[in-house]
Amino acid sequence: MDRSYKELLKLRRFPHTWCPGCGIGAVLKNVAMVMKELGWNYKNTVAVSGIGCSGRMSGYMNLDALHTPHGRPLTAAEAIKTVRSDLNVMVLSGDGDLASIGGNHLLHTSRRNPDITVFCNDNEIYGLTGGQAGPTTPQGTKTLTSPRGEHHSPLRLGRILTQQAPYFYARTTVYHLNHFKTCIREALLWKGFSFVDIISDCIELNGRRLGFKTAHQMFKWFDERFHIVEGERDQLQEDELGIAKAVVKEVPRPAEKEEVKPEIPMEGLKPFTLEELERFDGQEGRPIYMAYQGKVYDLSASPLFQGEKRMRCHLGGKDLTKDLDIAPHGEDLIFKFPLVGKME
Amino acid sequence: MKPRLNVLWNEIYCKRCLLCVEVCPVQVLTLERNEIEEKEGCIRCYQCERYCPDIAIEVMDEKGEK
Repeated sequence: MDRSYKELLKLRRFPHTWCPGCGIGAVLKNVAMVMKELGWNYKNTVAVSGIGCSGRMSGYMNLDALHTPHGRPLTAAEAIKTVRSDLNVMVLSGDGDLASIGGNHLLHTSRRNPDITVFCNDNEIYGLTGGQAGPTTPQGTKTLTSPRGEHHSPLRLGRILTQQAPYFYARTTVYHLNHFKTCIREALLWKGFSFVDIISDCIELNGRRLGFKTAHQMFKWFDERFHIVEGERDQLQEDELGIAKAVVKEVPRPAEKEEVKPEIPMEGLKPFTLEELERFDGQEGRPIYMAYQGKVYDLSASPLFQGEKRMRCHLGGKDLTKDLDIAPHGEDLIFKFPLVGKME
Repeated sequence: MKPRLNVLWNEIYCKRCLLCVEVCPVQVLTLERNEIEEKEGCIRCYQCERYCPDIAIEVMDEKGEK
């Protein structure tokens, strides 16, 4: 068996600090194994992690790593990817960090679709602080803060992250190891924002309260709750493990229309001088005329030009060529109105 | 500690979560006196090594090497 993945781990810091049977150790090990298979190492990869038990994962990896404030690993990862697009950036964090306090960053980072890979150690609880009910805690689960069962329905990350293409969302567990490694490999190779939701066990602070004695009993519970679905999927149901992904279909852009400026014959138009033009200012029932690029238009029908001033700043009976340059609209509004003459 | 037959066990890394004991299909691993002991009959399926979250178990190949 190939054990060269160990050079990606800081073995001098082992044993790690997680509880006996914790799934984060399995996440760390399998991510390191797949990285070794793909040839990713400290030269081309950066790991970013947030707060929580799973935030320690970046510290045990033999990579340049960043430990960010609570909920902010995605923003830091996106910044690294923006500045150094040659680096592979991956986020190793948990559900309390990514879905709860970092939920807004999760929404908007997935919307902007940077090329980063997120591994979310989803143990459905706030593990580090003692087992409080978190955003992904299933309804009815007994936790420290919900001794009669959690009231509210959980945040469905699978629905949130697959609402708009392109997306990559994989759900897997630490028990289904082959599927787990396949998901990690596909996520690391995906160009764009990829999210792996790893259903993991927190035996000490969640499992014991639910009645499990060992981590393996919790693994068997995952096996009962979830089943693997094969093939390409658009959506995953709540009890399915698999990969949901979609790419944006290339829509051919409509050919841009060439702007046709109306050709106006200059002959036969009534010549105006500026003094003559000033008479047509809308006062006492006279029409409103204005000059634009040497032509005179009748703006009497304009609903915004009633009562001598357009939008209370432009006067009728003037040459408004310069005013139109700074106006919020273009000249196409003026071409709608009848042409009555030309300037001398 | 008895000499190892097939399974190398790292006493320092191990946290005694007993995943290897429960995941073994032929039940050759047991916890005795706070140590993982191995009986005869390992079929070398590598399940204990794959599931160990602490990298504390390594299964030797047929030649007795790592």
